[in-house]
Amino acid sequence: MTIGAIPKWCGPMFEGRVERLGTEGTTSVVEISDLTYAVDGTEILHNISVLADEDRIGIVGRNGSGKTTLARVLAGLIEPSSGVVTVCGCELAKDRKTAVRTLGILFQNPDHQIIFPTVEEEVGFGLLQLGLSKPDAAAEAHRVLQSFGKAHWADVAIQQLSQGQRQLVCLISVLAMKPKVIILDEPFAGLDIPTTRQLGRYLDQTSATLIHITHDPEILNAYQRVIWLEKGAVEMDGSAKAVLTAFTNRMEQIGASDDISHISG
Amino acid sequence: MERNLVMIALFAALIAALGLIPKITLAFGVPITAQSLGVMLCGTVLGSRRGALAVLLFLLLVALGSPLLAGGRGGLGLFVSPTAGFLVGFPIAAFVTGLIVEKWRNAPLTLVAGIAAALGGIVVLYVFGVIGMSITLDKSIAEATALVTAFIPGDILKAAIAGMLTAALAKARPNSVLSRA
Amino acid sequence: MISLTSPVKTPWHSWPAGLKLGLLCVATMVLFSLENVFLHLAAFAACIGLYSVPGFVFLKVGCKRLVFLWPFLAVIVIWHAVTGTPVEGAVIALRLLTAVGLANLVTMTTRLSDMVEVVKMLLSPLRVLGLKTRPLEIAIALVVRFTPVLAQKGRDLTFAWRARSPKKPKWQIIMPFTLLAIDDAEHVAEALRARGGI
Repeated sequence: MTIGAIPKWCGPMFEGRVERLGTEGTTSVVEISDLTYAVDGTEILHNISVLADEDRIGIVGRNGSGKTTLARVLAGLIEPSSGVVTVCGCELAKDRKTAVRTLGILFQNPDHQIIFPTVEEEVGFGLLQLGLSKPDAAAEAHRVLQSFGKAHWADVAIQQLSQGQRQLVCLISVLAMKPKVIILDEPFAGLDIPTTRQLGRYLDQTSATLIHITHDPEILNAYQRVIWLEKGAVEMDGSAKAVLTAFTNRMEQIGASDDISHISG
Repeated sequence: MERNLVMIALFAALIAALGLIPKITLAFGVPITAQSLGVMLCGTVLGSRRGALAVLLFLLLVALGSPLLAGGRGGLGLFVSPTAGFLVGFPIAAFVTGLIVEKWRNAPLTLVAGIAAALGGIVVLYVFGVIGMSITLDKSIAEATALVTAFIPGDILKAAIAGMLTAALAKARPNSVLSRA
Repeated sequence: MISLTSPVKTPWHSWPAGLKLGLLCVATMVLFSLENVFLHLAAFAACIGLYSVPGFVFLKVGCKRLVFLWPFLAVIVIWHAVTGTPVEGAVIALRLLTAVGLANLVTMTTRLSDMVEVVKMLLSPLRVLGLKTRPLEIAIALVVRFTPVLAQKGRDLTFAWRARSPKKPKWQIIMPFTLLAIDDAEHVAEALRARGGI
């Protein structure tokens, strides 16, 4: 069940109610208007405008289409060159305190994400940053690990974990902060099929809005809305089925050609 | 042979890369460029010879015209500027730091590495740095020392952090701490 | 990796690197032996003149590359104003600007590859003694290749930090950064061995 956009001022009033009424999704608003992002004179994102409040949103595109940059702009880690980007009514790039409370992001490579040497430190980090005291953060980290059936992972060194396990630690660390929106930036790339399925199941259980960035359309089959990014602009935006079919067809077409020879810039 | 060479080259690249990421904060919100911490780590992790070589390689590339010093700085001009003494002192500091970590084995690595980083990265480094400043700015050693004292507390923090990082690295990748191989 | 060599063509781009470096050494030694403020003024003016030959863009970049000296210049100005020795202050300041300016000029007009050739040449006596220079060339190539790679990973780590904390990254971030460098080193060493080693 999705509910339409809730005005900012009554957000807090409604949130509790939504959680009690609905089981499938927390309402969230993603609003992008006229987003442009350029770096050193090169435009990476052009005039993107999106209004979305589905629970499961996909973003597809070739490598180099700007999807990862868009993910970072949405997360507020990069400020747009022009245009306004809000998540749940807040410009995350400008208000980092609200940002870490509202949105979590899972990156592709756990080795580029995990900062601390043990699982409990890594999971606890975000909780400390949310303002919990050291003992409270540690206790909550343990509680979260237990809810995933991974209480025995608490003082395990990241070193000892496999790629898939590390990615799960990243996921747990994000979920521990109870974000309303989670951006997934190709988190399953390089993982084997069983691991992808298992991680996917953990993700399915969350009530947060998922925005999943990928170049592989198969993953998004159960999603509601898909945005197709091509060379930094929105190529198509609509129902998952329609966009994914068009995307897959075009990708097959391009695959039959030889544009890999082209060097950009 | 390849492994030594590559470790040296990659630590030189690490020093450079540490200058390219945004400033990080030490404890108490003191901002630093992570680069000088990288020089201390070359000593504590790679040991005296390899650590010094890594820093020398880094300096060579800076001298040859690569903008690898924090802030995108580089080129020959730096080697005649008031900071030249520090540049010259870096590899020697790394050597001394590495030597202490290699020889002093019967104390916890955090302590050893921290003290080594302080003795090499502060005492030895500042000797060269102060001499360099004194020559280029035409001031006495005492006067030049007065100019740099403000940076010492921050550097002491850095040495402590270098100690902690080295110990953590030894736990995570024991084979890579070549100073204790 | 961007280099500090200027894309603006100057007459000195075609001069041999060894010659430029030799002249620079001589010039620096001369500068540090002079004490007369008028000579230093002349030297500084000559330096500016050299920068002006290739045009305004070149001169602008050259000046930007001197900006890092401002704290030292400030110290000199204040110090010598307070102690009533302005002429000495002027000498020190001018000497600094000229020396750094000339050195930067060499950097801006010489390609990295040409500099590497000079280094090889300077090391050639060692080759006669049996030491190989190939490892150094490989090492230089590795640093050039991997600095941007590590820098990108470092940036990713700062993103990962800022995604969960509104504060600027703290020193803990150097730990995973160093691990990445060490792991990359293991892979590259393996690849190097697989291709025949050094």
